[in-house]
Amino acid sequence: MLAPACIVLLLLFGGAVVGLVRSSLVTLGGAVSLDAWRGLLADPGFADAARFSVQVAVLSTVLAAAAGLVLAGLLRSRGTLPRAVLALPVPVPHLLVATSAVLWLGPGGLADRLLGALPLELIRDHGGLGIVAVYVYKEAPFLALLVLAACGQGLQAREEAATVLGATPWQRLRWVTWPAIRGPLLVGSIIVCAYAAGAFEVPLLVGPNSPPTLATFAFEATKTDVIAGQGTAAAALTLLSLFAIAIAALAVRFARDVEGA
Amino acid sequence: MRRPSAVVVATGVLFAAPLAALVVRAFADVWRAPALLPQRWGGRGFEAAFAGDDAIPALVASLGTGAATTTLALVIAWPAARVLGERRLHHPAPVFMLLAMPLLVPPYAVGLGLTEWFLRLGVTGTAAGLVLAHLAVVLPYTVLLLLSGFGPEIRGLEEMGRAAGLSGAERLRWVTVPALRPTLATAALVSFLVSWSQYGTSLAVAPEQPTLPVVLLPFVGADPQAAATLSLLFLAPAVLALLAAVRAMKAPA
Amino acid sequence: MAPGAAPVLRGVDLDVAAGRRAVLVGPSGAGKTTLLRAVAGLEEVREGMVELGGRRLDRGVPSHRRRVSVVFQEPRLLPHARIDDNVALPLRAAGVGRRERRARAGELLEEVGLAGMAARAVRGLSGGEQQRVALARALCGEPELLLLDEPLTAVDPNRRESLRRLIVRVQHDRRLTTLVITHDRAEAAELAETLALMLEGRIVQQAEPRELFERPASAAVARFFGTGATLRGTVTAGLLALDDATAIPVSGPDGPATWVIRPEAISLDDGAPLRAEVVEATYAGTHVRLVLRRGELRLVMHVAPGTRVGIGSEVGVCLPADRLWRIPGEDAQVSARS
Repeated sequence: MLAPACIVLLLLFGGAVVGLVRSSLVTLGGAVSLDAWRGLLADPGFADAARFSVQVAVLSTVLAAAAGLVLAGLLRSRGTLPRAVLALPVPVPHLLVATSAVLWLGPGGLADRLLGALPLELIRDHGGLGIVAVYVYKEAPFLALLVLAACGQGLQAREEAATVLGATPWQRLRWVTWPAIRGPLLVGSIIVCAYAAGAFEVPLLVGPNSPPTLATFAFEATKTDVIAGQGTAAAALTLLSLFAIAIAALAVRFARDVEGA
Repeated sequence: MRRPSAVVVATGVLFAAPLAALVVRAFADVWRAPALLPQRWGGRGFEAAFAGDDAIPALVASLGTGAATTTLALVIAWPAARVLGERRLHHPAPVFMLLAMPLLVPPYAVGLGLTEWFLRLGVTGTAAGLVLAHLAVVLPYTVLLLLSGFGPEIRGLEEMGRAAGLSGAERLRWVTVPALRPTLATAALVSFLVSWSQYGTSLAVAPEQPTLPVVLLPFVGADPQAAATLSLLFLAPAVLALLAAVRAMKAPA
Repeated sequence: MAPGAAPVLRGVDLDVAAGRRAVLVGPSGAGKTTLLRAVAGLEEVREGMVELGGRRLDRGVPSHRRRVSVVFQEPRLLPHARIDDNVALPLRAAGVGRRERRARAGELLEEVGLAGMAARAVRGLSGGEQQRVALARALCGEPELLLLDEPLTAVDPNRRESLRRLIVRVQHDRRLTTLVITHDRAEAAELAETLALMLEGRIVQQAEPRELFERPASAAVARFFGTGATLRGTVTAGLLALDDATAIPVSGPDGPATWVIRPEAISLDDGAPLRAEVVEATYAGTHVRLVLRRGELRLVMHVAPGTRVGIGSEVGVCLPADRLWRIPGEDAQVSARS
């Protein structure tokens, strides 16, 4: 019963991973060599890209989690309409959000026209703020919805009980509400981190030319050097994938903890 | 319904405004700064977008790949979702790990990795290759969404069907599938959207046969109006999904 | 109670004497839970007041500062905390140190019959055990008033008896002013020192339990606690005419009135003037419940478990005049409307 899905995934996804590793270790001529890896690790461009990717991922995750918490807190007691509103960005592709970002936040964009001028440069800036903005816009509602899902009837009942027994609103937040939402929030944040680390099409639109994110770095490698580029790209993407797989393991473990609680 | 609070309205505006701006941009033949509204409206965007001969084939490719991927994914995911949803596994963690990995590994990596094999098999640039690549990324979503529908209630209904004398196929058609309809719809919709939104995989596996997002991206810098037009097209399934969800929420339970 | 919502309680006057155990009973939806929540500070009071120990609570005293504890219908324990940490929540809120809190919690857990469970997780407990923890938690805050909202409803019927006895014992030992809400009339009778019946947002009778069962203030009260028969008619010369053929002796002055009688007070008596046909006979474990009909009149009576009576047979029933209770202040027309 499980077999078809597992086999398909093992073949396709497993094959992809194996393919990447193979690509990084086997040159076009067919010889096995570590050249691609050596070249990658020695390349300062790679170090820059890795640092930049981590920066973008962490910043996006932290801001999205904060914004998600705020949104959830504000919208918690307002019925089903807020959840519908929060769900608006969810089905929208990242690429579209990035396109809108260019429209709004670029030089001469709508925000510029409405506000006079933006204090920050957000598109193609060195800090990658445009990329972060896109991910926060897309993932904050996702995290807010996760948190809201944990705030059901049961939680409200326990908060009431704590109130009656003498807990101040702040104590209630710390002892009843936070323990209930921190699990889903953590798992969600881990997922967002993995997504943002793998940023590909978003930096192509709103990211700086340099430094690139790791995925974009790999893409450019395939373009610049036809012979060795594939290997370099594969190596970089293998590292990125390992990071994502580690994150996946964390997420699965924490999700089971949350479920069990 | 009580009047929505300021916060809800503000959030709604925040999420709807970009869409509105996109619509305006698509129909603005001339829109120079610092004007807030276009100087001239028109349909030039459509002409420019479809001028080349890659927009329509890209649209067809996206639609076709999406449909094929979704169908395959649903069929493959169904039995797995049943096993997982009914909690028949004693140690489900490895399976969830297998599901989580393709979700979190960058799609471009998956695409590039698969290309290595596709080159040998000669399926790069083919529709089948595209579907396979999308399937790898979409299948986890399908399984995870579908499994939430299975459980003791469905089992109970199926037992009732068996007791009432229905055959296996009849049970499937008249009991299981109708009972699972909302979950099925969600899983199908999301699976389609994930395939529809794929960029990295499509770029890696079939650069000569681009899908809609691949065609869209270059327009953003070059011709914003054409980009906006294609964006509206790109947005269409998401909007339909939202409308369907709203209707599902309003329908009596 | 909330602005814009229809008022749930209309003119409630409920007094619970200090140190006593009162029960508020009534059908679901009558407003009992709303009243309890208002006293606890979980609902706003728009008109009227809540007073505890001479101090007004409804003006400006938020819920967490009232010396009121609540045991809810569901235990509402914190799933991630140990049992003793759950119990000690009120002390933690008051700033008491951990060692002292846990010591106190341990004592309370012993008192509710859960000695030795202090360090365990909440997850493995049964419904009854969880409610005991909830009770210990409510007592931990040394409240001036203890409120219990249908505390036995979610508990296994076999376990209710021991939990009920625990509540009575705990209240009695502490002389704790207690108000229990329930919709179960048998439970109400067993738990109450004072019993109040709430119907449609109003308290219609408040007295010792026996009063409400045997001397109800209205036909509605009688119906709630289960009446064997409701008789309406006019008394002439000490006799109530039930129809052309039958009249039974009643006490009290002449004139129109309504009487009720408990099902347990009616007995089978072949020599009695009132005869009726048996339409239902149900064995209920502790007794046999008979439903009898005579024309418009419907009688419910309880007889000993061994009694065998055939359906459709005609029997004589005795309604002793001293067990017939005349509903005060009502005549035939009024009681027909209620």
